[in-house]
Amino acid sequence: MLIHHPFQSEILFDPHRQLPVMAGNLESRGGTLRNLTRVSLTRLDKVLYPAAGITKQDVLMYYIRVAPFLLPFLYNRPVTMHRFPDGVGGEGFFEKDAPAGTPDYVEIFNHWSETAEREVHFVLCNNLDSLIWIANLASLEIHSTLSTTSAYNSPDLLLFDIDPEPPLTFDDVIEVAHVVKDHLKTRGIRPFVKTSGKKGVHIVVPLVAGYTFSEVRDFVHGIGKDVARDTRRVVSEFPRSRDKGTIFIDYLQNAHGKTMVAPYSLRATPGATVSTPVHWEELHKGIRPEDFNIKTVLSRDEEPWREIFDKRQKIR
Amino acid sequence: MRNHGGKFLTNGRKSVDTLRENKKKGITGSGKKPVPVKKPEIKKVKEVHIPLDREETKAASGRPFWSGSITIGLVNVPVRLHTMVRDRSFSFRLLHREDGQPLKYDRVCTRDGRVVPWKDTVKGYEIRKGEFLVFEPDELKAIMPESDRKIRIDRFVYYLSLDPMYFDSSYILVPDRSEEAYGLLVAAMQDLGRAAAGTITLRTKEYPVVVHVYDGALVLTTLHHADEVTQPHASFLIPPITVPKEKELILAKRIITDLTGDFSINDYPDRYHEAILDLINKKLAGEKIVYQESHPEEAKELMQALQETIATLARK
Repeated sequence: MLIHHPFQSEILFDPHRQLPVMAGNLESRGGTLRNLTRVSLTRLDKVLYPAAGITKQDVLMYYIRVAPFLLPFLYNRPVTMHRFPDGVGGEGFFEKDAPAGTPDYVEIFNHWSETAEREVHFVLCNNLDSLIWIANLASLEIHSTLSTTSAYNSPDLLLFDIDPEPPLTFDDVIEVAHVVKDHLKTRGIRPFVKTSGKKGVHIVVPLVAGYTFSEVRDFVHGIGKDVARDTRRVVSEFPRSRDKGTIFIDYLQNAHGKTMVAPYSLRATPGATVSTPVHWEELHKGIRPEDFNIKTVLSRDEEPWREIFDKRQKIR
Repeated sequence: MRNHGGKFLTNGRKSVDTLRENKKKGITGSGKKPVPVKKPEIKKVKEVHIPLDREETKAASGRPFWSGSITIGLVNVPVRLHTMVRDRSFSFRLLHREDGQPLKYDRVCTRDGRVVPWKDTVKGYEIRKGEFLVFEPDELKAIMPESDRKIRIDRFVYYLSLDPMYFDSSYILVPDRSEEAYGLLVAAMQDLGRAAAGTITLRTKEYPVVVHVYDGALVLTTLHHADEVTQPHASFLIPPITVPKEKELILAKRIITDLTGDFSINDYPDRYHEAILDLINKKLAGEKIVYQESHPEEAKELMQALQETIATLARK
């Protein structure tokens, strides 16, 4: 019997004291997760990020903890799963369609796809169990559309996808991001920003209802052209997007059926980075995309995108 | 990983939940149809007997397990032996997954793989790897202890002096038209607080036994032989025990004293038994059984995360 600390042992053994809530609940549930989630969790100890030693259990833990921030964003937004059954380094694949065996609690959005010429059954991540189910499929990355099912052909988010071509770095991206922000501000638009989790940033503007994708695309393209004109090394046209030492302001993602990696989604990078919403003030030289990862994001007190859907704006 | 609990009812019919599940899947309209299962014969399930109320049906009222008499010197008290301890464990039959038919075991010759009928078998005692001493049934029968249908009592002992370590299984002794002698024995032993010690031969083995008064009846308990029980210190499993410090001992004793109470076996329900019963009933009712991998430690962490997230989401 290990009794060294009188105080502690008294608490442990006091028969009149109620056991901590967790222990009591565990007991009554027979030590299973069944009463908390309908998802059958599998292969929890499978390593999904070999370099960081992160297991599927860690990934599940992350998504469960980040759910209060992620779920409101994903609501009614068809998701594309980027699955890595063998972990980062193994082969990954995108899944737009609900796979066979999709459980009943996962809501499905059926939509006729002109490009695929068939009905696509999109997965919606509208509840916690759906998110857990997605994570359990080793879908490290969760991508979502820029419109919701209530008006699938009309975007409610506008996206600037800004990526550097080497030798330019994240520092250069930050500089350009601020220029884009300033351009928007002069037009009275308040943009939101997040790291992509890879090399770039995503600047997002929540929109009032009614825009078409081509309107939004043209607007983003226009800003890109303005910025490219004034700023060295910035390119606004796709053919030049892969030129060495440039930064491309990608407007082409603003299209029907295209997706953006969701805020708080993990990325399939060695360090398990997270596409993280940040305040504009946080976005300064010296910060690194790797600073925002599976281990650090949850301890951030910031919730920079909290009001994003309360700040829907017009573009002009 | 779903639906592990068994795809078939015992007669090889496709289980209700599999059928329901396929029917419900409106997700992929042109999806795969359930593959019809070959089955040699289709019987209707008449009634599946669940051993729910075996308690009543299989109580001690059944057939005696043994009958003979308690022999004390020249006195004989005829008794019948009834099972007291009921094995409640569920036994599952092993089935062929493809057609749901029960499998059977065969005695197969390790040399040519052929099935050997019972009449062509003898017993062998392995003296060295692959070398056997062969015994014909008659040879073994000759040394079997004679079952003389007697519980031979050779002394009376204080019941409380018996070490429960040696207790094996217990049987209820029922008077066999010997109510008077039986009653006398019960009363005398009870008054003196004694138990009777002796031997019984059950089937082919002789056991040490004790007979004691329990709830106004005689109960016989077979005992393990001395050499069947390993003494803790003889096993070298116990490291040298250190003498505890005075203060620690006082504290330990206080904790023990505080926790001291009456023992009630009902405080320790058989959770596994209940869980299996629950599973069987659910399956009978056509409910979907979800396979849940058990990861006690991980589950704890995940459960905590889940509980917290569920609480947060509920507040939102």
